[in-house]
Amino acid sequence: MRLLLVEDEKKLSDLVARALRAERYAVDVADDGQRGWELADSYNYDLIILDLMLPALSGEEVLRRIRRKNQQVPILILTARDATEDKVHNFEAGADDYLTKPFAFAELIMRVKALLRRGPVTRASVLRVADLEVDRFSQQVRRGGRRIELTPKEYALLEYLAANPGRVFSRTMIIEHVWDQSFEGLTNIVDVYVRHLRSKVDDPFPVKLIRTVRGVGYGLGESSER
Amino acid sequence: MNTRSLSFRLVAWYAGVLTVVFVLLGSLTFLFLRHYLEANLLDIQARRARQIADTLVAHARRDSEDAMRSQVENLYSPEVNDRFIRITRADDALVYASGAPKDGGFDPSQVPLPAAVPAGDSPRTVRRAGGGGLLIASVTATAADGTRYRVEVGTSGVAAADTLTQVLVMLAVGLPVAVAVAVAGGFVLVRRALEPVERITAKAEAITQHNLSERLPVVNSGDEIERLSLALNHMIARLEEAMRGSKQFVADASHELRTPLTVMRGELESLAQDSQLGRETRETLGSVLEEVERLGEIVESLFALSRLDAGEANAEWVRFDLAELAATTAEQMSLLAEDKHVSVDCDSTPGVTVEGDRARLKQVIVNLLDNAIKYTPSGGRVRLSVRREGRFALLDVADDGIGIPAEALPHVFKRFFRVDTSRSREQGGAGLGLAIVKSICSAHGAEVEVLSTPGRGSRFRVRQPLAGESAAAG
Repeated sequence: MRLLLVEDEKKLSDLVARALRAERYAVDVADDGQRGWELADSYNYDLIILDLMLPALSGEEVLRRIRRKNQQVPILILTARDATEDKVHNFEAGADDYLTKPFAFAELIMRVKALLRRGPVTRASVLRVADLEVDRFSQQVRRGGRRIELTPKEYALLEYLAANPGRVFSRTMIIEHVWDQSFEGLTNIVDVYVRHLRSKVDDPFPVKLIRTVRGVGYGLGESSER
Repeated sequence: MNTRSLSFRLVAWYAGVLTVVFVLLGSLTFLFLRHYLEANLLDIQARRARQIADTLVAHARRDSEDAMRSQVENLYSPEVNDRFIRITRADDALVYASGAPKDGGFDPSQVPLPAAVPAGDSPRTVRRAGGGGLLIASVTATAADGTRYRVEVGTSGVAAADTLTQVLVMLAVGLPVAVAVAVAGGFVLVRRALEPVERITAKAEAITQHNLSERLPVVNSGDEIERLSLALNHMIARLEEAMRGSKQFVADASHELRTPLTVMRGELESLAQDSQLGRETRETLGSVLEEVERLGEIVESLFALSRLDAGEANAEWVRFDLAELAATTAEQMSLLAEDKHVSVDCDSTPGVTVEGDRARLKQVIVNLLDNAIKYTPSGGRVRLSVRREGRFALLDVADDGIGIPAEALPHVFKRFFRVDTSRSREQGGAGLGLAIVKSICSAHGAEVEVLSTPGRGSRFRVRQPLAGESAAAG
């Protein structure tokens, strides 16, 4: 899989490229709009990550040119602007997804993966992490064969964590996916739910599955890194 | 009528000054006229007395006084002409005195003699009871035989008094009329001159931070009022520029902060998950990350506020039931309250339809509830209610928490304001939650107010027009 990253902030592009390479993607980096357009024009990328504020050629213009020329290539927009009108405008111009700075890198990786799969994502109906089973159809949770009763919100939180075992999600990310945007800034609600979830999923068992990484967030199962 | 208004005061002053000037002028005219009339009459009497003295008395002798008497009678017939003529010798012996005048204006026998024999001509006025007076001029003359006589000629001042009365009546009637006309004219004039001021005032009151692009009406009259409205318009333009500058600054600043925050967070997150690091290092990294996250939240809040300021809130307006939204939000937040052993009661009857940005109004409820839960001690109660009141939807969030001191109440909706720095910092947040509530409410034409008793609890109330009403108004 070959990805193009068009981002003029050197540090940010280094960081994103590193995170993507860690996921075994090949990444080309362009640090201005002109170079980005030339690269996009010459290779068939599997995905393009495009910053909107670019020197030489604006992100909007690059987006328009790529779409005029072809293309089925998924485009993920990175921007510091998140007014709804901007969003609508860019989706109309052909963006496939939209990520507002500052974003968590876990979120970026997830969006990239989702876009690369394209179409309806084939999702396993039963998620397994160690001896934990989350059945997405019946919304039932078992651990070591024992049934665990969860409230709908607890279930949604557990399913979100279980879908990406080993990955750590920031509380803001969890809020956005399990609750909705109006809870932004109310990250302590996540702590409360995780505590409740722990008491049901971890406390009765010797092996603890829910991990806390201070300052980063929560994850399920062993770290996938190293 | 407003007695402190400029037009009233101008006209009152104007009328006052005008009255004083008129009264002064009238009095002066009256006094001068009286003096002139009396002097003139006395002058005539004096000339006549001199005439009698020169033509009759000078040629008379003591023994021809009878002839002198009849001559005076024939030549001057004082009774018919309402005149007073009296001739006396120097020793006060009466030689001749005219009879009662035809009009009975005075009684000659009652006229007293001059106190001392005057050296030469001497005018005097004899006042009588009942008004009016006798103007008398007296001269001395020496007869052919050396006898000294005094000739007194007088006339009643009635004619002069009549003229003066007429003048007085004219002044008494004319003055109020003149003042009334002047006041009426002045009032119309002042009204016309100040009418643009009324319009400028009305317009200036309608201008708020949301419609600073509007300007005051300017009348091309070339007067002070045109200069005033131009000066005010320039001031509004400078205000608009300053407001735009500060909004742009907040937007730019939060925008510029986002990229470095992303980089910081990314770098730190990947470091924090490195299992090779020592526990202490990871704790430190975690602490730094928590602060980075808080910084990010502040930047997001500022950005949200600047967008609300710019009026982008109406992008996603829909009609929805505020009561239902309040109930589901309270339900979603109940666990947060439970965790603190605070109960949340929601009392709302469905059917309170409002119009607005649902996500933003939900944020209002979330922020108010979060606030109430935060400042209510364990075992306390938070009550949320939504109901209709007339043409408004009332959303009420009350707690029995620690309350807000009276001196802090007017400031709770200001940005970065905290009642108690140490208390809020430990609870998290940067003092932007209520500022966001206020901004969202303003964008929805809603009002938010707070009542609080320290130690007893606080009550936040949002008053928003119901959907039908706001649609009709828009």
